[in-house]
Amino acid sequence: MASQVVNLRVNERSREFLAAPGTSLLSSLRDALGLMAAKRGCAQGSCGTCTVLLDGRPVMSCLVAVETVDGASVRTLEGVARDGELDEVQAAFLEGFATQCGFCTAGMIMSAEALLDRNPDPTREDVVEAISGNVCRCTGYGPIVDAILDAAARRRP
Amino acid sequence: MITAVRTPESLAAAVGHAAAGGRLMAGGTVVMAQVNSGSVGSPELVSLRRAGIGGISLDGSAARIGATTTLAEVEESPELAFLRDAVRSIASPAIRSLATVGGNLFVPQPYGDLAVCLLALDATVEIAGPDGSREVPVDVVLANGVAPGEVVTAVRLAVPAPGTWFYHKAMRRKLNSAAIVAVAAVVGTAGGVVTSARIALGGVAPRPVRAVSAEGVLIGRPLETDVLDEAGRAARGDIEPFDDAYASAWYRARVLPVHLRRAFLG
Repeated sequence: MASQVVNLRVNERSREFLAAPGTSLLSSLRDALGLMAAKRGCAQGSCGTCTVLLDGRPVMSCLVAVETVDGASVRTLEGVARDGELDEVQAAFLEGFATQCGFCTAGMIMSAEALLDRNPDPTREDVVEAISGNVCRCTGYGPIVDAILDAAARRRP
Repeated sequence: MITAVRTPESLAAAVGHAAAGGRLMAGGTVVMAQVNSGSVGSPELVSLRRAGIGGISLDGSAARIGATTTLAEVEESPELAFLRDAVRSIASPAIRSLATVGGNLFVPQPYGDLAVCLLALDATVEIAGPDGSREVPVDVVLANGVAPGEVVTAVRLAVPAPGTWFYHKAMRRKLNSAAIVAVAAVVGTAGGVVTSARIALGGVAPRPVRAVSAEGVLIGRPLETDVLDEAGRAARGDIEPFDDAYASAWYRARVLPVHLRRAFLG
């Protein structure tokens, strides 16, 4: 069967593109829309570096067949900064030296955004659970957890 | 090579595509991983995402969970709060927002911890097919799957009375790891002794299994350490453990009594 037209609302913009049968949301973001923040790590749902928000929930975008989510809203790391300003999570990662090689960072930040959207006042345990599907092979988890807790504090009024 | 992905908007259409040979996919956490590695084995996928078979409803203590209800939705359901610890022991949040209750019945061990719970709960599975619908006990689906063209549409279970539900999972780390041993049980007591017991085990056989030998040991006796140790040793007769990257078969059998005891006594 031929490629299909898919419509998504990506980072508050309507996007329309063609997807070959079985294309993942991750491949569509990267290859059709040029959004390179979400990374292709394992393509098995094990590493978390492709994490994006799909209708507000964190998902492994490599496991989503994009044709099945026509019409959905997607948020990627590219949609996190506002008016050119880093958001609290990004700023906390930057200032807290919470990236090493950076390959996991986009997924870590999106998992953190999903957590803070639902739970603005997380415990350290909540943060660890929220990023339990995101692998950092530099093993820099300490500063990452600290940065997410710092971001929560920055967001509190 | 995938040639078509169908996203039918009704159950009837989904059954039709499945009967025509399409590979069913709910959350995609298993099937899309196979698509990505080129091992899916079917050129046509049928997504259940829009087939209208999701959602949780409760009538008294009788719960009905639609097949495409996600694990995240179960986790957040106040009515199914007793399952929250079990669901949170499965994978990670970004998997739980995709993975479904129905799909969990078809994942190979040592995954499928919710299926272990459903076996302990004596759940009923609703199935739709080209020749109509049927209902079967969950152990039948776990043992035999469903026929080609059939679609699991819901599971039904009785929410256990307070204090009768037990769940414990041993894994290599605290979060996001498969079962070495998973124990789920509904055990009722009266006058200090066990009056009813239904115990299911995960991680210790090719599919979730009932620990009928352990149940027999418990009946009429108190939930105490020595009784549970005896039940745990008896449960070794109910398992067919396997080696994998998480643990050896020997280790699984060795630690089973410990974890069976911890399910009840912490």
